[in-house]
Amino acid sequence: MDLLERYLQAVGEYLPARTKADTLAELRENLLAEMEGREEKLGRSLTQSEVADVLEKHGRPVLVAARYLPQQHLIGPAWFPIYWFTLKRSFPFVVLVYLVTQVAAWLFQGGKGLDVGAAIGHFPSVVLTFWAVVTLGFACFEYAQGRYFHQVDISKGWNPNDLPKLEPARSKRPSLAGGVADVIVSSIGMLWLLAIPYKPYLILGPLVGHLREMPFGLTPEWHIFYWQIISLLGVQLVLKTVMVFLHGAEGWRKGFDMVVQVIGILIIAVMVQARTYMVPGTSVGAMSMKDLTTVNAAINFGFKVALVLSVLKLLWDVWKMIVSSRAEQKSFVTVL
Amino acid sequence: MVSMIQNELFDSLRLELRRGCLILAVLAQLRVEHYGYTLRKALADQGLAIEESTLYPLLRRLETQGLLTSEWREEEKRNKRFYRLSAEGAAILEQLLAEWNGINDSLHKILEDKKDKKDKEDKEDKKETKER
Repeated sequence: MDLLERYLQAVGEYLPARTKADTLAELRENLLAEMEGREEKLGRSLTQSEVADVLEKHGRPVLVAARYLPQQHLIGPAWFPIYWFTLKRSFPFVVLVYLVTQVAAWLFQGGKGLDVGAAIGHFPSVVLTFWAVVTLGFACFEYAQGRYFHQVDISKGWNPNDLPKLEPARSKRPSLAGGVADVIVSSIGMLWLLAIPYKPYLILGPLVGHLREMPFGLTPEWHIFYWQIISLLGVQLVLKTVMVFLHGAEGWRKGFDMVVQVIGILIIAVMVQARTYMVPGTSVGAMSMKDLTTVNAAINFGFKVALVLSVLKLLWDVWKMIVSSRAEQKSFVTVL
Repeated sequence: MVSMIQNELFDSLRLELRRGCLILAVLAQLRVEHYGYTLRKALADQGLAIEESTLYPLLRRLETQGLLTSEWREEEKRNKRFYRLSAEGAAILEQLLAEWNGINDSLHKILEDKKDKKDKEDKEDKKETKER
């Protein structure tokens, strides 16, 4: 019976002190009765392995003990949807607040010393802290209700008349009209970009005059960047046009969008590496050189922000694609 | 793969279906006093096997809820904890049994309706075949 005592000791490890002795005494009796029942059937004493078999069937000590505990969950099924909804709805605000605080900190430091890598690296711990705080809040509420105050019944006290107005059904597949409009707008945007080298006022407006008087000039990187963007938009335009005429190619469209996004990220990454975007002209003073450094740093920061946003957008799209494909698989299995 | 998913689904639905029935069976069985092991045997003998690790904590929970009473008593030179239905438990059991019978009747009606419809369709099919 040494094995039984060892088992009871292991179960006792996870039981609260208040009920431990009582629970174990009852469990011992029940298990002994179980073993005696088997012995009666066999007409002999149980061997060590047969005792082990009874205990194994009874269950792993930690799980057995858990069944004697009053609360088995941090957040119960009644509150879990609210908890999940809170996490989902709050997450974009967490991202926004984090972004604003990082930019504000950078500005307070005089626009110097922003480490984008460190800022991104620190973000998971912020998300983890946010998740932990929300979970702890809900867990405390779940524990306290019914013990320290009456259970809050959220299934009552709502009025169907307060529901939001009916929205038109969202179609998953883009309409033909939407596709054509997309191609037209993209074509106009492409023409506008192509016209900029000949008509700079299209992008700078009245600032063109001031630009000519500035003691700085653009680096060749801008020229490369410009043509890379033009090529990318050109490819995208062709794909968009093809997709308008191809039905049932949603999977391909998503794939192409991803590829275009990846290429866009690479282009921005190249620009982030450039670091120098404006070079001094013929007559530049010491003060202007300082301004030039600030302008270059600001442009570089702009590209870094664009890079981070593009990567986040890509990750978001990939995640959505995985989720939708899983949902499709599940519905397929259900149909089967 | 599909069959594995179906098995898992069946197990989970079966568990859900059994959960409420087990409570009803335990309460009904404890109109007569039992301790854990004999209760489990009595239920198993009537075709309702319950795992020990499910039954014993369930008894504790039902006692905490006031539906059962228990006492430690010596039997065959060993101390055992005997459970019995409390007055409150008996009242709840009556209500639950009424609910159970209601559900059972409704389910039978639904199944009978379906069966009648199917029989009728089969008869009509046979009639049509004969006429041809």
